Amino acid sequence: MSAPFIQIENVHKHFGSTHALRGVSTYVNKGEVLVVIGPSGCGKSTLLRSINGLETIDAGKIIVDNNVIDAKHKNINAVRAEVGMVFQQFNLFPHLTVLENLTLAQIKVRKRDKKSSQDIAHDLLKKVRIPEKISMYPGQLSGGQQQRVAIARALAMNPKVMLFDEPTSALDPEMINEVLDVMLDLAREGMTMLVVSHEMGFARNAASRVVFMDAGAIVAEGTPHEMFDNPTNERMKQFLSKILH
Amino acid sequence: MGRFASGPKATYIPTDETPQTAQGRAIDRLSTLPWWLIILLLLGVFLVHQLSSNEPYVTAFNRVVNGIGTTLLVTGVGYTLAICFGLVAGLGRVSKNILIFNAATLYVQVIRGVPILVQMLYWSFVIVPLGATALNALGAWLAPVLGDASFLVKIQSRDIDFMWRVTFALAFAYGGFEAETFRAGIESIGKGQMEAARSLGMSYPQAMLYIILPQAIRRVLPPLGNDLISMLKDSSLVSALGVREMTQEARLLAAANFRYIETYSSLAFMYLSLTLILSLFVRGIENRWKQG
Repeated sequence: MSAPFIQIENVHKHFGSTHALRGVSTYVNKGEVLVVIGPSGCGKSTLLRSINGLETIDAGKIIVDNNVIDAKHKNINAVRAEVGMVFQQFNLFPHLTVLENLTLAQIKVRKRDKKSSQDIAHDLLKKVRIPEKISMYPGQLSGGQQQRVAIARALAMNPKVMLFDEPTSALDPEMINEVLDVMLDLAREGMTMLVVSHEMGFARNAASRVVFMDAGAIVAEGTPHEMFDNPTNERMKQFLSKILH
Repeated sequence: MGRFASGPKATYIPTDETPQTAQGRAIDRLSTLPWWLIILLLLGVFLVHQLSSNEPYVTAFNRVVNGIGTTLLVTGVGYTLAICFGLVAGLGRVSKNILIFNAATLYVQVIRGVPILVQMLYWSFVIVPLGATALNALGAWLAPVLGDASFLVKIQSRDIDFMWRVTFALAFAYGGFEAETFRAGIESIGKGQMEAARSLGMSYPQAMLYIILPQAIRRVLPPLGNDLISMLKDSSLVSALGVREMTQEARLLAAANFRYIETYSSLAFMYLSLTLILSLFVRGIENRWKQG
């Protein structure tokens, strides 16, 4: 087997006196969906954000498709070109229409012409099932629709891996599924994904592996079946008993 | 003027004290009328009447009008430059580069701590002459390359008109204020916008240009508009250096004919008219941009 697409080796990160990541090591193979769960403040978002350089790391290294990121955080732009990111708060550009949100980076970063970037945008909006919202502004869309536009915006850059940072946590309950469905489609198509989420249903259905983090470290790791049906780790059992009712 | 236009808030909550009689309601209504506007209009009508019929007023008005072009030129050029200085320094104030950040902060702090009039004197009588001397020295040093009579050698500080010195000084001073306005605007845009732009592969300048600044500038239009009006008023300071804009024309006239009341009333009326027109114009632009 070839080297994993993302390799995370002994990563440390401090915020002032808080030791947010304490020697985290894991990997994501091509086509795999890794779901990271854990209580708030356990460092799962920080781990995700350090993969595309939104957080710098203090020690260790992260290798994304043969690009090395370490404490000197070189190669960030090379990595960002390969990595799509979806945020909890969507972070669509409110002054641009849905179409412009999808085409701006294609034109400015990927140097595509207007026509082909718009064609790609049209196709992706169909894929996330909101082609009719193309000329609206983000403020006119529901949360679920905004998040689907955000997914399409990231996909427009043809990333090799997609990072999801609690993509449904800011949504009303009835909108969660429309976003999860799009993510499931992506997983089935073989997109490499790293997902921080509390949606256990999604983890069960889509995850190749599940990682449980607590206090800045990975304390358990396995298939969804191993992790949810026969958890061996005490802390993990506690966590599950609180979130599964 | 928007914030004064509505007058005191009149909320009618029926209580025992609410006047029930027709007379009471009429008094209540009268108290919410924009009296300040009525007084202003009456004053305006009176002054317009004086300006068209009363001889000393006509003289004063005609004289002050001579300076209106210079006032508008100083304000227009000064404001355009100030926006450029302010944008550059404002970007410097949010920069993570220590050198750029400190240079921008030094600029802003110095500007805010020295009166504008003093800054005008300083540019006019210290920096421009020193700069001319420095250019001359540079010209002498480069004489082997540029020749003995290059423009660098010939330049003299008196070639630079006082109007441009003080206009530049005014622009430099206002640039310091605009820098803080732009900084506040940029910082008011959520961190997530920059993160989203960067994670799409945009560079920092691209993210600023296409994502942050368009939102930030829309947000700071009201203070930027206020500063345009302030600058129109502060352009009167350049009269202290003999630039013949409206205030200087009025001073010269009053010094000659001692008609202080007529001259300075005309002058104040002119400024008031200009600022009112300008504030309507600024509000129009704000509304257009808000929709766009």
